[in-house]
Amino acid sequence: MHATIALFRNELRLLLRNPAVVIWTILIPIAALVVMCLIPGAREPLPNFGGLSVIESYQPTLIVFAATMLALQMMPMFIGQYRELGFLRRLRTTPAHPRDLLAAILALILTISLVVGLVLLTFPLLFGVGVMGRLALQSLLLVLVATSFLAVGSMLAAVIANPRVAAGVGAALAAIMWFFAGMWFPRVLFPGWLATISDWTPGGAAASVLGAAAAGQPIAAQPLIALGLWTVGGFSIATRSFRWE
Amino acid sequence: MTLITVQGLRKSYGAREVLHGIDLTVDDGEIVGVLGPNGAGKTTTVECIGGLRTPDVGTIRVAGIDPAAKNPELRQILGMQLQQCHLPAKITPAEAIELFAAFYRNPRRTAELLELLGLTSQAHQRFEKLSGGQQQRLSIALALVGRPKVAILDELTTGLDPAARRDIWAYLQKLTDEGMTILLVTHSMEEASHLCDRVYIVDDGRIVATGSPAELATSGGRQTVTFVPSEPIDPADLLSLPGIASATVDHGQVTVGGDAAAPQTVLAELIARGITANHLRVTGPTLDDAYLRVTQEN
Repeated sequence: MHATIALFRNELRLLLRNPAVVIWTILIPIAALVVMCLIPGAREPLPNFGGLSVIESYQPTLIVFAATMLALQMMPMFIGQYRELGFLRRLRTTPAHPRDLLAAILALILTISLVVGLVLLTFPLLFGVGVMGRLALQSLLLVLVATSFLAVGSMLAAVIANPRVAAGVGAALAAIMWFFAGMWFPRVLFPGWLATISDWTPGGAAASVLGAAAAGQPIAAQPLIALGLWTVGGFSIATRSFRWE
Repeated sequence: MTLITVQGLRKSYGAREVLHGIDLTVDDGEIVGVLGPNGAGKTTTVECIGGLRTPDVGTIRVAGIDPAAKNPELRQILGMQLQQCHLPAKITPAEAIELFAAFYRNPRRTAELLELLGLTSQAHQRFEKLSGGQQQRLSIALALVGRPKVAILDELTTGLDPAARRDIWAYLQKLTDEGMTILLVTHSMEEASHLCDRVYIVDDGRIVATGSPAELATSGGRQTVTFVPSEPIDPADLLSLPGIASATVDHGQVTVGGDAAAPQTVLAELIARGITANHLRVTGPTLDDAYLRVTQEN
């Protein structure tokens, strides 16, 4: 445990020295939200967004954006680099197991995803956008969403040995997730078959549950099952196929 | 007391057997060297001892622990420096040492290691900005931070300048005086002669010679005499003398090889002929000679 904490602190320090991570996963999503909050029209509920404001309907997309950048693109790259450098092997010669490093990286990525997600959920409340009473459920769903992306990212890190390929595949997958989360095209306008596919992807399922929670609607079972399956499936493939060297 | 025992170690990569039965022992407080050409199996041997690879056949014990058994106690008593290991690009030496220190029960102080390995002024420089030699020294520091009973050091001073090598040798000698044991993989005969109590010469997956560096060197027993004679001398005359094995002339310089009495024999002959030996040099047998002999015989 002591080793994992030391590795976590070290990973945090190294991550903050990596400007790409800080800019893409922390600054850009938060800045996008802050800008929207400053536009009065974006705070008004709109009938064709199901009574939600522009901010509220983009919130899930931004959460998916931050979580996927971290879990799908950055994390497989970090882990792949450590494997390539021989650092995982180097740790095997110490009382710390390389598993401790993976645990530290997963914990760190999850922590940042949750912190950024919480900022994205709470900041609009200062502008009277969103409902305080729904924050607890939204936060709970945020944990589930971030965990399922972490599982998919772990699977990539395990299956793809080359860190550059892993980061490339992760970036492509992240972009697909943004599409299914409605970044470029509102989800309500998806045709039926696309909506069905979308709801079974982690991105679509995440946007679905977070959107429903924001609107005060009941959370459907299907997207929860989808997120659960991706989480269990991703982590089990990752643990079975992970290569240390 | 024997700290490391290896018996009948065999290891194959696929169909190719790279270790054909290695036996070696390292006693408490010794510095033992493993020498041999590239691809001889040195690194595979120490990686088996360090538990990074599992032997196909054979027994290994490090302080009574089987390294293949994943006993966590082994990691507390064994420090390893690997040949190819890079740290994260943006970590600094001070941070790396402190990170590794957190893994051990009773670590050495970071400042002490930085100072003894000459890294104090680079303590806060990022790993990617360090020179090869500085990265190497950091790697040694990380192997020693846990106060190991045994340290396995693979290619210890490759890429270091002569002054840094001397400093590190002196530091390691001090640590062994305090009770540490070292198993050293090296290419450098100078390093082995200077540092090791005993060496094993490995070639093609077998131990081909073992002993102290001095014993191995003298086992060949060959002395070399070189000089520039004041008058020309026929090498054939020298070759006919007792105990002389070789004699050659190159640009007026005569080189004669022979047994332990050869220098005396050659000088007596020159004096008898009234020839002066200018620039006279006698070199004793070296570990280099012994190494080349046993690895070439093999």
